[in-house]
Amino acid sequence: MDWDQFDLNPKVVAALKKADIKSIKEILNLSGADLQRLMKLSSADIQCLLKTVSHTLRRNSMITALQLYQDKDHLTSQHQKLSLGCSVLDTLLKGGIPLVGITELAGESSAGKTQISLQLCLCVQYPYRYGGLESGAVYICTEDVFPSKRLQQLIDQQHKLRADVPAEIIRKIKFGNSIFVEHAADLDTFHNCITKRISLLLTRGMVRLVVIDSIAALFRCEFGVSDSVTKARYLQTFGAQLHSLSTRFRTPIMCINQVTDAVSESEAAQCSCSVVGNRVCSALGITWANQLLMRLMVSRVPQPAPSSGVASHPTGSVRTLRVVFAPHLPPSSCCYTVKLEGVKGIK
Amino acid sequence: NQEDSVSLLPLSPAVYALNKTNFYKARRLPFSRKIGISKEEALEALQVVRQECHGDATRTAGGSGTTRKCTALELLEEEQAQGFIITFCSALDNILGGGVQLTKITEICGAPGVGKTQLCMQLAVDVQIPECFGGVAGEAVFIDTEGSFMVDRVVEIATACVQHCQLIAETHQEEDNLKALETFSLESILSHIYYFRCRDYIELLAQVYLLPDFLSEHSKVRLVVVDGIAFPFRHDFEDLSLRTRLLNGLAQQLIIIANDHKSAVILTNQMTTRIGQSQSTLVPALGESWGHAATVLKMWARKVLTNGTFENLFQTVKFVFYIVSQCSNLRLRSLLSIP
Repeated sequence: MDWDQFDLNPKVVAALKKADIKSIKEILNLSGADLQRLMKLSSADIQCLLKTVSHTLRRNSMITALQLYQDKDHLTSQHQKLSLGCSVLDTLLKGGIPLVGITELAGESSAGKTQISLQLCLCVQYPYRYGGLESGAVYICTEDVFPSKRLQQLIDQQHKLRADVPAEIIRKIKFGNSIFVEHAADLDTFHNCITKRISLLLTRGMVRLVVIDSIAALFRCEFGVSDSVTKARYLQTFGAQLHSLSTRFRTPIMCINQVTDAVSESEAAQCSCSVVGNRVCSALGITWANQLLMRLMVSRVPQPAPSSGVASHPTGSVRTLRVVFAPHLPPSSCCYTVKLEGVKGIK
Repeated sequence: NQEDSVSLLPLSPAVYALNKTNFYKARRLPFSRKIGISKEEALEALQVVRQECHGDATRTAGGSGTTRKCTALELLEEEQAQGFIITFCSALDNILGGGVQLTKITEICGAPGVGKTQLCMQLAVDVQIPECFGGVAGEAVFIDTEGSFMVDRVVEIATACVQHCQLIAETHQEEDNLKALETFSLESILSHIYYFRCRDYIELLAQVYLLPDFLSEHSKVRLVVVDGIAFPFRHDFEDLSLRTRLLNGLAQQLIIIANDHKSAVILTNQMTTRIGQSQSTLVPALGESWGHAATVLKMWARKVLTNGTFENLFQTVKFVFYIVSQCSNLRLRSLLSIP
């Protein structure tokens, strides 16, 4: 670190070099008293040093909420979200998936989690004005084989799902080319995948969506009851890495999670499920939940029909998408079906 | 030795911040040979500055100065006279003892999704409520470490708050209220929330070092939110003693800020599982020593069961502003006691 370029007293610069301090991080990691002792300077000098380096790090870091609200630039705006490809579902989520943060999609098997994720992998490839991010997706499979046949079906039917997009635009997108599939069945492979493969794809701008199907499978077999501390540490590390990637590249991370039965009262209370007899909560517990921006739950139990006027679908194929928590959404839900062309919400 | 005498000057961060220009002059004089004044002249200049600093400190609200003496009774009376940030949610205000207290740090702990960020966003709006409606007419600093500050939600909350005040003004028809409403609008509320995004603990530390100067430049700020304090510190820290020391340092700085700038400081904390012998319990994260570091009122936002449905403390808060935006009646269910 070239301390000469900072607006510091020459005496302070000399002391920094003599104490072999090489980075701003080192300075901020030390307490005021330690710095005084190490650099043999007065407390006032140290205060000045701390403020100068902090200022260098945090120049122009303030923005008012009004500026955030008025920012319409699709590269920086909070209003920009990743559409789900269906206007009903997008309305539930007030636009779609937020671009920065980890979104979890939890639910029982065959509730539709993979369907929604595949649909997102196609949606992300559309232009910005149609709710996409004009980029590809990376899909990490941790247990099952990637459903390539179903993906092909969805690709073939895009014109039917996305009636809002002109046909020439749909034809021009080479959907299959921009979906990168990775397999990671254990924690080490997964760690490598995040730190190397995904970082590379994001840096090159080739993807703007990461799907992990599923995060729970990675932890199911490897940890016994006594390993909960290690498990928590892994979860925190992965969560932090994913969060950091998401922030740096403004890329949504979609994590699919399984559900387990809520056995105790406190667990049941946490899943905020008011349907009696359906007490399931997301797997992986509070350590993982702390990393999330938004949690969505899908289930096959339909909501009771609000009125007799609602068009009836065969009950078996109706699913419910529920917002469990999100900083910008009230707890709400809507129904959807899985059709040949994809997932469609029901008003 | 002139350097020693300067370093012995008990210049607290508050005084330093209040008189930034004077202080810089004072700082530079003895050490910069470029100005070329004698040591005696420097010392004399410092005496003058020092007197000015003390004068300013006692004149400015909340400035603690360095050699102010007062009795414990005076301190107690001062403390009881401090303002509160009201939330327009009577259940919440009651539990807090009137509202969120200025000059104090409040830590909000809770499980994910319980509403900690919601409450912070609401307080960033409520701190701006004009005095004639019972507010402190302040501004807010929002430090976001998790990226969960969604401005669209703040817009909803701010709109509901303005409507609530308009309702009060219409009912009572007092001139003060109507005049205050002229400047209390969605745009003005949003423009007085100063947002900082810190992506790791180093950025957070740096931001807090810069806060006193920022608050001196924006003297109307009455609320500082750090959402959340735990997130940047809960991974990648093999050296737990470093973490404890950094957190304690942060807490000390925030206590000084809360006091010197007559502001409320709100920190949100995560919950973690403490594995006991027979069962595991949820406790606030960041360890035992963190709990003792600050003068803190801990709010344990837990889900409680009432009447066969699941609710939580902040469910009422959410419920409130959805109701406020739709009707004029503000009725809240009473909650079970919070441990």
